Amino acid sequence: MDNSGRRTFLGVCLGGLAAAVTAAATWPVYRYLAPRSTATTAARVEIPEKDVPEGEAKFFDFGGASAVLVRKPGGGLIALSAVCTHMGCIVQWEKDTQDFLCPCHGGHYTADGGVISGPPPKSLAKLPFIVANGIITIG
Amino acid sequence: MTLLKRLIDWFDVRIGAREVVARELTGYLLPRNINTWYSMGSILLFIFAMQMVTGILLLIYYVPDADKAFKSVTFIMNEVPFGWLIRLCHAVGSNLMVLVLLFHMLSVLFMNSYKSPRELNWLTGFILFTMIQGISLTGYLLPWSQLSFWATTVATNSVGAIPAIGPYLVEFLRGGKLVGPPTLGRFFALHVVLIPTGIGALIGAHLFFLQRTGVSTPPFGQKETANQWKGDGYRYESHPEGIPFFPVYALEDIRSIFIYLACFLGVVFFFPNLLFTKEAFLPANPLQTPLHIKPEWYFLANYQTLKIFPSEFLGLAVQGIAMTFLALLPFIDRDPERHPLKRPLFMVCALGGLLLWIGLGVWGHYS
Repeated sequence: MDNSGRRTFLGVCLGGLAAAVTAAATWPVYRYLAPRSTATTAARVEIPEKDVPEGEAKFFDFGGASAVLVRKPGGGLIALSAVCTHMGCIVQWEKDTQDFLCPCHGGHYTADGGVISGPPPKSLAKLPFIVANGIITIG
Repeated sequence: MTLLKRLIDWFDVRIGAREVVARELTGYLLPRNINTWYSMGSILLFIFAMQMVTGILLLIYYVPDADKAFKSVTFIMNEVPFGWLIRLCHAVGSNLMVLVLLFHMLSVLFMNSYKSPRELNWLTGFILFTMIQGISLTGYLLPWSQLSFWATTVATNSVGAIPAIGPYLVEFLRGGKLVGPPTLGRFFALHVVLIPTGIGALIGAHLFFLQRTGVSTPPFGQKETANQWKGDGYRYESHPEGIPFFPVYALEDIRSIFIYLACFLGVVFFFPNLLFTKEAFLPANPLQTPLHIKPEWYFLANYQTLKIFPSEFLGLAVQGIAMTFLALLPFIDRDPERHPLKRPLFMVCALGGLLLWIGLGVWGHYS
Protein backbone atom coordinates (compact mmCIF):
# COMPACT_ATOMS: atom_id res chain seq x y z
CA MET A 1 0.00 0.00 0.00
CA ASP A 2 1.45 3.40 -0.92
CA ASN A 3 1.77 6.31 1.52
CA SER A 4 -1.36 8.11 0.37
CA GLY A 5 -3.38 4.88 0.65
CA ARG A 6 -2.11 4.30 4.19
CA ARG A 7 -2.81 7.92 5.06
CA THR A 8 -6.37 7.68 3.74
CA PHE A 9 -6.87 4.46 5.75
CA LEU A 10 -5.51 6.13 8.91
CA GLY A 11 -7.68 9.18 8.27
CA VAL A 12 -10.82 7.04 7.89
CA CYS A 13 -9.97 5.09 11.07
CA LEU A 14 -9.31 8.26 13.09
CA GLY A 15 -12.40 9.95 11.65
CA GLY A 16 -14.50 6.93 12.62
CA LEU A 17 -12.97 6.91 16.08
CA ALA A 18 -13.66 10.64 16.45
CA ALA A 19 -17.29 10.10 15.41
CA ALA A 20 -17.61 7.22 17.92
CA VAL A 21 -16.07 9.30 20.73
CA THR A 22 -18.35 12.25 19.90
CA ALA A 23 -21.40 9.99 19.87
CA ALA A 24 -20.34 8.37 23.17
CA ALA A 25 -19.83 11.80 24.77
CA THR A 26 -23.12 13.24 23.51
CA TRP A 27 -25.36 11.01 25.65
CA PRO A 28 -23.72 11.80 29.03
CA VAL A 29 -23.71 15.54 28.21
CA TYR A 30 -27.38 15.40 27.18
CA ARG A 31 -28.34 13.49 30.35
CA TYR A 32 -26.28 15.94 32.46
CA LEU A 33 -28.11 18.92 30.95
CA ALA A 34 -31.60 17.42 30.73
CA PRO A 35 -34.06 18.70 33.37
CA ARG A 36 -34.33 16.38 36.33
CA SER A 37 -37.45 14.25 36.33
CA THR A 38 -40.04 15.34 38.89
CA ALA A 39 -42.02 12.13 38.54
CA THR A 40 -40.07 10.46 41.32
CA THR A 41 -40.57 13.32 43.80
CA ALA A 42 -43.50 12.94 46.20
CA ALA A 43 -46.65 13.91 44.34
CA ARG A 44 -48.52 14.34 47.61
CA VAL A 45 -48.34 17.36 49.87
CA GLU A 46 -49.74 17.40 53.40
CA ILE A 47 -50.79 20.67 55.03
CA PRO A 48 -52.40 20.97 58.50
CA GLU A 49 -55.93 22.41 58.30
CA LYS A 50 -55.09 25.09 60.86
CA ASP A 51 -52.53 26.58 58.40
CA VAL A 52 -55.34 27.71 56.10
CA PRO A 53 -57.71 30.01 58.03
CA GLU A 54 -60.99 31.19 56.54
CA GLY A 55 -60.56 33.75 53.75
CA GLU A 56 -56.84 32.97 53.42
CA ALA A 57 -54.73 31.18 50.81
CA LYS A 58 -51.62 29.03 51.28
CA PHE A 59 -49.13 28.65 48.45
CA PHE A 60 -46.95 25.54 48.25
CA ASP A 61 -44.77 23.58 45.86
CA PHE A 62 -46.59 20.73 44.13
CA GLY A 63 -44.71 18.39 41.78
CA GLY A 64 -42.19 21.08 40.86
CA ALA A 65 -44.82 23.79 40.20
CA SER A 66 -46.69 26.29 42.38
CA ALA A 67 -50.09 25.49 43.82
CA VAL A 68 -52.46 27.18 46.23
CA LEU A 69 -54.98 26.08 48.83
CA VAL A 70 -57.88 28.48 49.56
CA ARG A 71 -60.43 28.34 52.38
CA LYS A 72 -63.43 30.33 51.23
CA PRO A 73 -65.68 32.23 53.64
CA GLY A 74 -68.01 29.58 55.04
CA GLY A 75 -65.22 26.98 55.26
CA GLY A 76 -65.14 25.45 51.77
CA LEU A 77 -61.64 24.34 50.66
CA ILE A 78 -60.25 24.36 47.14
CA ALA A 79 -56.82 23.39 45.79
CA LEU A 80 -55.65 24.99 42.55
CA SER A 81 -52.61 25.28 40.37
CA ALA A 82 -51.16 28.77 40.98
CA VAL A 83 -49.76 28.97 37.44
CA CYS A 84 -51.65 31.50 35.33
CA THR A 85 -53.08 29.89 32.20
CA HIS A 86 -52.07 32.92 30.09
CA MET A 87 -48.26 33.15 30.22
CA GLY A 88 -47.32 30.94 33.17
CA CYS A 89 -46.81 33.61 35.86
CA ILE A 90 -47.77 32.84 39.48
CA VAL A 91 -51.11 34.30 40.56
CA GLN A 92 -51.42 36.32 43.80
CA TRP A 93 -54.24 35.98 46.37
CA GLU A 94 -56.14 39.20 47.00
CA LYS A 95 -57.59 38.87 50.48
CA ASP A 96 -59.73 42.00 50.26
CA THR A 97 -61.60 40.95 47.14
CA GLN A 98 -61.23 37.19 47.74
CA ASP A 99 -59.95 36.52 44.24
CA PHE A 100 -56.71 35.89 42.36
CA LEU A 101 -54.78 38.45 40.34
CA CYS A 102 -52.01 37.60 37.90
CA PRO A 103 -49.65 40.62 38.15
CA CYS A 104 -48.02 39.95 34.77
CA HIS A 105 -50.93 40.95 32.52
CA GLY A 106 -53.79 41.66 34.93
CA GLY A 107 -55.71 38.39 34.65
CA HIS A 108 -58.40 37.96 37.34
CA TYR A 109 -59.68 34.63 38.65
CA THR A 110 -62.35 33.82 41.23
CA ALA A 111 -61.44 31.97 44.43
CA ASP A 112 -62.59 28.81 42.59
CA GLY A 113 -60.14 29.48 39.76
CA GLY A 114 -62.66 30.65 37.17
CA VAL A 115 -61.67 33.50 34.83
CA ILE A 116 -63.25 36.88 35.73
CA SER A 117 -61.40 39.17 33.34
CA GLY A 118 -58.16 39.71 31.48
CA PRO A 119 -56.28 37.54 28.99
CA PRO A 120 -56.27 34.06 30.68
CA PRO A 121 -57.84 31.63 28.19
CA LYS A 122 -59.08 29.14 30.81
CA SER A 123 -59.59 28.55 34.53
CA LEU A 124 -56.82 27.58 36.96
CA ALA A 125 -56.44 23.80 37.10
CA LYS A 126 -58.10 22.15 40.11
CA LEU A 127 -56.07 19.72 42.21
CA PRO A 128 -57.55 16.71 44.03
CA PHE A 129 -57.33 16.64 47.82
CA ILE A 130 -58.74 14.91 50.87
CA VAL A 131 -59.11 16.05 54.47
CA ALA A 132 -58.60 13.57 57.28
CA ASN A 133 -57.68 14.02 60.96
CA GLY A 134 -57.02 17.73 60.50
CA ILE A 135 -54.57 17.15 57.61
CA ILE A 136 -55.24 18.23 54.04
CA THR A 137 -53.57 15.87 51.58
CA ILE A 138 -53.21 17.25 48.08
CA GLY A 139 -52.49 14.92 45.18
CA MET B 1 -19.79 15.48 -3.49
CA THR B 2 -21.15 18.07 -5.89
CA LEU B 3 -23.01 19.72 -3.00
CA LEU B 4 -19.81 19.86 -0.92
CA LYS B 5 -17.89 21.28 -3.88
CA ARG B 6 -20.59 23.89 -4.44
CA LEU B 7 -20.48 24.82 -0.75
CA ILE B 8 -16.68 25.19 -0.87
CA ASP B 9 -16.99 27.22 -4.09
CA TRP B 10 -19.55 29.49 -2.36
CA PHE B 11 -17.08 30.25 0.41
CA ASP B 12 -14.08 30.40 -1.94
CA VAL B 13 -15.46 33.15 -4.15
CA ARG B 14 -16.28 35.22 -1.05
CA ILE B 15 -13.31 34.75 1.30
CA GLY B 16 -10.70 32.94 -0.80
CA ALA B 17 -11.05 29.78 1.33
CA ARG B 18 -8.89 27.62 -0.97
CA GLU B 19 -6.04 30.10 -0.71
CA VAL B 20 -6.22 30.01 3.12
CA VAL B 21 -6.24 26.18 3.08
CA ALA B 22 -3.31 26.11 0.64
CA ARG B 23 -1.30 28.56 2.73
CA GLU B 24 -2.14 27.42 6.28
CA LEU B 25 -2.87 23.71 5.88
CA THR B 26 -1.76 21.84 2.75
CA GLY B 27 0.94 24.39 1.92
CA TYR B 28 2.10 24.77 5.53
CA LEU B 29 5.25 22.67 5.39
CA LEU B 30 6.93 21.15 8.44
CA PRO B 31 10.47 19.73 8.80
CA ARG B 32 10.82 16.19 7.44
CA ASN B 33 12.44 14.96 10.68
CA ILE B 34 9.59 16.29 12.85
CA ASN B 35 8.72 13.93 15.72
CA THR B 36 5.81 13.04 18.04
CA TRP B 37 6.93 15.52 20.71
CA TYR B 38 5.76 18.29 18.38
CA SER B 39 2.18 17.06 18.98
CA MET B 40 2.22 18.12 22.63
CA GLY B 41 0.97 21.61 21.73
CA SER B 42 -2.03 20.19 19.86
CA ILE B 43 -2.79 17.85 22.78
CA LEU B 44 -2.64 20.86 25.13
CA LEU B 45 -5.08 22.81 22.95
CA PHE B 46 -7.41 19.83 23.04
CA ILE B 47 -7.11 19.55 26.84
CA PHE B 48 -7.74 23.27 27.28
CA ALA B 49 -10.90 22.98 25.16
CA MET B 50 -12.01 19.97 27.23
CA GLN B 51 -11.41 21.89 30.45
CA MET B 52 -13.47 24.81 29.13
CA VAL B 53 -16.37 22.55 28.14
CA THR B 54 -16.39 20.49 31.37
CA GLY B 55 -15.89 23.67 33.41
CA ILE B 56 -18.91 25.35 31.81
CA LEU B 57 -20.96 22.20 32.43
CA LEU B 58 -19.91 22.15 36.10
CA LEU B 59 -20.95 25.80 36.46
CA ILE B 60 -24.55 24.76 35.80
CA TYR B 61 -24.78 22.96 39.16
CA TYR B 62 -21.87 24.32 41.22
CA VAL B 63 -22.73 26.99 43.82
CA PRO B 64 -19.79 29.26 44.83
CA ASP B 65 -21.03 29.77 48.39
CA ALA B 66 -19.15 28.43 51.40
CA ASP B 67 -22.36 26.92 52.83
CA LYS B 68 -23.38 25.26 49.59
CA ALA B 69 -20.21 24.55 47.57
CA PHE B 70 -19.42 21.13 49.05
CA LYS B 71 -23.07 20.05 48.87
CA SER B 72 -23.30 21.17 45.25
CA VAL B 73 -20.18 19.15 44.33
CA THR B 74 -21.59 16.11 46.18
CA PHE B 75 -24.85 16.65 44.31
CA ILE B 76 -22.97 16.72 40.99
CA MET B 77 -21.08 13.54 41.89
CA ASN B 78 -24.04 11.55 43.26
CA GLU B 79 -27.30 12.93 41.89
CA VAL B 80 -26.82 14.59 38.51
CA PRO B 81 -26.78 12.04 35.65
CA PHE B 82 -23.13 11.64 34.54
CA GLY B 83 -22.13 14.45 36.90
CA TRP B 84 -19.36 12.20 38.24
CA LEU B 85 -18.01 11.85 34.70
CA ILE B 86 -17.98 15.59 33.99
CA ARG B 87 -16.39 16.39 37.36
CA LEU B 88 -13.75 13.64 37.08
CA CYS B 89 -12.93 14.70 33.52
CA HIS B 90 -12.35 18.24 34.81
CA ALA B 91 -10.27 17.16 37.84
CA VAL B 92 -8.18 14.55 35.99
CA GLY B 93 -7.88 16.85 32.96
CA SER B 94 -6.37 19.62 35.06
CA ASN B 95 -3.67 17.28 36.35
CA LEU B 96 -2.91 15.85 32.93
CA MET B 97 -2.80 19.37 31.49
CA VAL B 98 0.09 20.16 33.86
CA LEU B 99 1.79 16.84 32.97
CA VAL B 100 1.48 17.32 29.19
CA LEU B 101 2.60 20.95 29.56
CA LEU B 102 5.70 19.70 31.38
CA PHE B 103 6.36 17.22 28.53
CA HIS B 104 5.91 20.04 26.01
CA MET B 105 8.35 22.30 27.84
CA LEU B 106 10.88 19.50 28.39
CA SER B 107 10.80 18.57 24.70
CA VAL B 108 11.40 22.23 23.76
CA LEU B 109 14.19 22.36 26.36
CA PHE B 110 15.98 19.20 25.24
CA MET B 111 15.60 19.98 21.53
CA ASN B 112 16.89 23.49 22.30
CA SER B 113 13.98 25.01 20.39
CA TYR B 114 13.75 27.91 22.86
CA LYS B 115 16.82 29.57 21.34
CA SER B 116 16.66 32.81 19.37
CA PRO B 117 14.58 33.93 17.58
CA ARG B 118 12.04 31.97 19.69
CA GLU B 119 12.56 33.77 23.02
CA LEU B 120 8.97 35.07 22.95
CA ASN B 121 7.56 31.59 22.26
CA TRP B 122 9.41 30.29 25.35
CA LEU B 123 8.47 33.27 27.49
CA THR B 124 4.74 33.09 26.65
CA GLY B 125 4.89 29.31 27.18
CA PHE B 126 6.53 29.80 30.56
CA ILE B 127 3.92 32.37 31.64
CA LEU B 128 1.25 29.92 30.45
CA PHE B 129 2.83 27.28 32.70
CA THR B 130 2.57 29.55 35.76
CA MET B 131 -1.01 30.47 34.82
CA ILE B 132 -1.93 26.79 34.50
CA GLN B 133 -0.50 26.29 38.00
CA GLY B 134 -2.57 29.28 39.15
CA ILE B 135 -5.79 27.99 37.62
CA SER B 136 -5.16 24.58 39.20
CA LEU B 137 -4.51 26.14 42.62
CA THR B 138 -7.63 28.31 42.52
CA GLY B 139 -9.76 25.42 41.24
CA TYR B 140 -8.52 23.19 44.05
CA LEU B 141 -10.37 25.31 46.65
CA LEU B 142 -13.75 25.31 44.91
CA PRO B 143 -15.08 21.91 46.16
CA TRP B 144 -14.69 23.37 49.69
CA SER B 145 -13.57 20.04 51.12
CA GLN B 146 -11.17 19.53 54.00
CA LEU B 147 -8.43 18.80 51.43
CA SER B 148 -9.09 21.92 49.37
CA PHE B 149 -9.54 24.17 52.41
CA TRP B 150 -6.31 23.17 54.17
CA ALA B 151 -4.21 22.82 51.01
CA THR B 152 -5.22 26.41 50.17
CA THR B 153 -4.44 27.52 53.73
CA VAL B 154 -0.91 26.08 53.41
CA ALA B 155 -0.37 27.39 49.85
CA THR B 156 -1.54 30.94 50.59
CA ASN B 157 0.32 31.00 53.90
CA SER B 158 3.70 30.62 52.17
CA VAL B 159 3.23 34.02 50.48
CA GLY B 160 3.49 35.51 53.98
CA ALA B 161 7.26 34.84 53.96
CA ILE B 162 7.82 37.74 51.56
CA PRO B 163 9.44 40.49 53.67
CA ALA B 164 7.35 43.55 54.65
CA ILE B 165 4.33 43.04 52.39
CA GLY B 166 3.95 39.26 52.89
CA PRO B 167 1.32 39.29 55.68
CA TYR B 168 -0.75 41.89 53.85
CA LEU B 169 -0.48 39.91 50.59
CA VAL B 170 -1.78 36.77 52.33
CA GLU B 171 -4.73 38.72 53.73
CA PHE B 172 -5.38 40.32 50.35
CA LEU B 173 -5.27 36.94 48.60
CA ARG B 174 -7.63 35.37 51.13
CA GLY B 175 -9.92 38.36 51.55
CA GLY B 176 -9.46 38.02 55.31
CA LYS B 177 -7.05 36.82 57.95
CA LEU B 178 -7.92 33.16 57.31
CA VAL B 179 -9.22 31.16 54.37
CA GLY B 180 -13.00 31.61 54.44
CA PRO B 181 -16.06 32.50 52.35
CA PRO B 182 -14.36 35.64 50.88
CA THR B 183 -11.48 33.43 49.64
CA LEU B 184 -13.95 31.19 47.82
CA GLY B 185 -15.46 34.21 46.03
CA ARG B 186 -12.03 35.49 44.99
CA PHE B 187 -10.70 32.14 43.86
CA PHE B 188 -13.94 31.43 41.97
CA ALA B 189 -13.65 34.69 40.01
CA LEU B 190 -9.97 33.99 39.29
CA HIS B 191 -10.59 30.38 38.28
CA VAL B 192 -13.64 30.95 36.11
CA VAL B 193 -13.01 34.31 34.45
CA LEU B 194 -9.72 36.06 34.98
CA ILE B 195 -7.14 33.27 34.56
CA PRO B 196 -8.94 31.47 31.68
CA THR B 197 -9.16 34.80 29.80
CA GLY B 198 -5.45 35.35 30.38
CA ILE B 199 -4.64 31.80 29.28
CA GLY B 200 -6.74 32.24 26.12
CA ALA B 201 -4.97 35.51 25.27
CA LEU B 202 -1.54 34.00 25.89
CA ILE B 203 -2.33 30.92 23.79
CA GLY B 204 -3.23 33.36 21.01
CA ALA B 205 0.10 35.18 21.44
CA HIS B 206 2.01 31.87 21.61
CA LEU B 207 0.44 30.63 18.36
CA PHE B 208 1.01 34.01 16.71
CA PHE B 209 4.73 33.85 17.55
CA LEU B 210 4.86 30.27 16.25
CA GLN B 211 3.18 31.38 13.04
CA ARG B 212 5.63 34.27 12.58
CA THR B 213 8.86 32.38 13.36
CA GLY B 214 7.88 29.04 11.78
CA VAL B 215 8.27 25.59 13.28
CA SER B 216 11.79 24.84 14.50
CA THR B 217 13.74 21.99 12.92
CA PRO B 218 14.53 19.19 15.38
CA PRO B 219 18.30 18.90 15.86
CA PHE B 220 18.24 15.11 15.42
CA GLY B 221 19.44 13.54 12.17
CA GLN B 222 20.88 16.80 10.87
CA LYS B 223 24.46 17.46 9.79
CA GLU B 224 24.40 21.08 10.82
CA THR B 225 22.80 21.48 14.25
CA ALA B 226 23.93 25.01 15.14
CA ASN B 227 21.39 27.83 15.26
CA GLN B 228 21.56 29.58 11.87
CA TRP B 229 19.75 32.76 12.86
CA LYS B 230 22.23 35.63 13.29
CA GLY B 231 19.82 38.25 14.56
CA ASP B 232 20.38 40.46 11.50
CA GLY B 233 16.75 40.61 10.43
CA TYR B 234 13.34 38.94 10.51
CA ARG B 235 13.31 35.50 8.95
CA TYR B 236 10.55 32.92 8.74
CA GLU B 237 12.00 29.42 9.14
CA SER B 238 10.50 27.68 6.14
CA HIS B 239 10.87 24.02 5.19
CA PRO B 240 10.61 23.92 1.37
CA GLU B 241 11.25 20.16 1.19
CA GLY B 242 9.06 19.46 4.22
CA ILE B 243 5.85 17.54 4.80
CA PRO B 244 2.46 19.28 4.63
CA PHE B 245 0.70 19.94 7.93
CA PHE B 246 -2.55 18.72 6.36
CA PRO B 247 -3.14 15.86 5.96
CA VAL B 248 0.21 14.36 7.02
CA TYR B 249 1.02 15.89 10.40
CA ALA B 250 -2.62 16.68 11.28
CA LEU B 251 -3.21 12.90 11.29
CA GLU B 252 -0.23 12.44 13.62
CA ASP B 253 -1.69 15.15 15.88
CA ILE B 254 -5.08 13.42 15.95
CA ARG B 255 -3.44 10.07 16.65
CA SER B 256 -1.52 11.62 19.57
CA ILE B 257 -4.74 13.16 20.90
CA PHE B 258 -6.40 9.72 20.84
CA ILE B 259 -3.46 8.16 22.69
CA TYR B 260 -3.81 10.93 25.28
CA LEU B 261 -7.58 10.30 25.46
CA ALA B 262 -6.95 6.58 26.10
CA CYS B 263 -4.62 7.40 29.04
CA PHE B 264 -6.99 10.10 30.32
CA LEU B 265 -10.09 7.90 30.21
CA GLY B 266 -8.05 5.05 31.72
CA VAL B 267 -7.52 7.21 34.82
CA VAL B 268 -11.14 8.49 34.83
CA PHE B 269 -12.68 5.01 34.60
CA PHE B 270 -10.17 2.74 36.35
CA PHE B 271 -8.41 4.99 38.90
CA PRO B 272 -11.01 7.66 39.68
CA ASN B 273 -9.73 8.17 43.22
CA LEU B 274 -6.08 8.47 42.22
CA LEU B 275 -6.12 12.21 42.89
CA PHE B 276 -8.38 12.25 45.94
CA THR B 277 -7.46 11.53 49.54
CA LYS B 278 -10.15 10.82 52.15
CA GLU B 279 -10.11 14.51 53.14
CA ALA B 280 -11.51 15.32 49.69
CA PHE B 281 -14.80 13.67 50.75
CA LEU B 282 -15.25 15.69 53.95
CA PRO B 283 -16.70 19.22 54.00
CA ALA B 284 -14.29 21.99 55.01
CA ASN B 285 -14.06 22.49 58.75
CA PRO B 286 -12.03 25.58 59.71
CA LEU B 287 -11.73 24.30 63.30
CA GLN B 288 -10.30 20.87 62.50
CA THR B 289 -6.94 20.61 60.74
CA PRO B 290 -6.42 17.17 59.19
CA LEU B 291 -3.06 15.40 59.50
CA HIS B 292 -0.48 15.46 56.69
CA ILE B 293 -2.18 17.78 54.24
CA LYS B 294 -0.18 17.73 51.01
CA PRO B 295 -0.52 19.88 47.91
CA GLU B 296 -1.10 18.48 44.41
CA TRP B 297 1.80 16.44 42.96
CA TYR B 298 3.10 19.32 40.83
CA PHE B 299 3.48 21.55 43.91
CA LEU B 300 5.19 18.86 46.04
CA ALA B 301 8.72 19.98 45.07
CA ASN B 302 7.87 23.59 46.03
CA TYR B 303 6.32 22.34 49.27
CA GLN B 304 9.42 20.28 50.15
CA THR B 305 11.77 23.14 49.22
CA LEU B 306 9.96 25.40 51.69
CA LYS B 307 10.37 22.70 54.35
CA ILE B 308 14.08 22.01 53.92
CA PHE B 309 15.23 25.61 54.18
CA PRO B 310 15.60 26.97 57.71
CA SER B 311 13.70 30.13 56.79
CA GLU B 312 10.57 30.18 54.65
CA PHE B 313 11.78 33.34 52.93
CA LEU B 314 14.97 31.59 51.81
CA GLY B 315 12.89 28.73 50.42
CA LEU B 316 10.70 31.15 48.49
CA ALA B 317 13.71 33.15 47.26
CA VAL B 318 15.43 30.00 45.90
CA GLN B 319 12.26 29.04 44.04
CA GLY B 320 11.86 32.57 42.72
CA ILE B 321 15.46 32.57 41.42
CA ALA B 322 15.01 29.14 39.80
CA MET B 323 11.77 30.20 38.10
CA THR B 324 13.28 33.49 36.88
CA PHE B 325 16.31 31.63 35.52
CA LEU B 326 14.07 29.20 33.61
CA ALA B 327 11.85 32.02 32.29
CA LEU B 328 14.89 33.92 31.00
CA LEU B 329 16.78 30.84 29.76
CA PRO B 330 16.77 31.84 26.04
CA PHE B 331 18.34 35.18 26.99
CA ILE B 332 20.98 33.53 29.21
CA ASP B 333 21.88 30.51 27.05
CA ARG B 334 23.38 32.06 23.88
CA ASP B 335 25.26 28.96 22.66
CA PRO B 336 24.19 28.41 19.01
CA GLU B 337 24.57 24.60 19.26
CA ARG B 338 21.17 22.86 19.40
CA HIS B 339 21.95 19.14 19.53
CA PRO B 340 21.65 18.04 23.18
CA LEU B 341 24.35 15.36 22.82
CA LYS B 342 26.81 18.02 21.68
CA ARG B 343 26.10 19.99 24.85
CA PRO B 344 27.17 17.74 27.76
CA LEU B 345 27.18 20.51 30.39
CA PHE B 346 23.66 21.56 29.40
CA MET B 347 22.49 17.93 29.50
CA VAL B 348 23.96 17.38 32.97
CA CYS B 349 22.34 20.58 34.28
CA ALA B 350 18.96 19.91 32.62
CA LEU B 351 18.76 16.26 33.66
CA GLY B 352 20.11 17.12 37.13
CA GLY B 353 17.45 19.82 37.54
CA LEU B 354 14.71 17.46 36.39
CA LEU B 355 15.86 14.67 38.74
CA LEU B 356 16.12 17.19 41.61
CA TRP B 357 12.54 18.34 40.94
CA ILE B 358 11.28 14.73 40.84
CA GLY B 359 13.35 13.83 43.94
CA LEU B 360 12.01 16.78 45.93
CA GLY B 361 8.49 15.84 44.89
CA VAL B 362 8.90 12.20 46.01
CA TRP B 363 10.52 13.39 49.25
CA GLY B 364 7.63 15.83 49.80
CA HIS B 365 5.11 13.04 49.19
CA TYR B 366 6.67 10.67 51.74
CA SER B 367 7.78 13.27 54.28
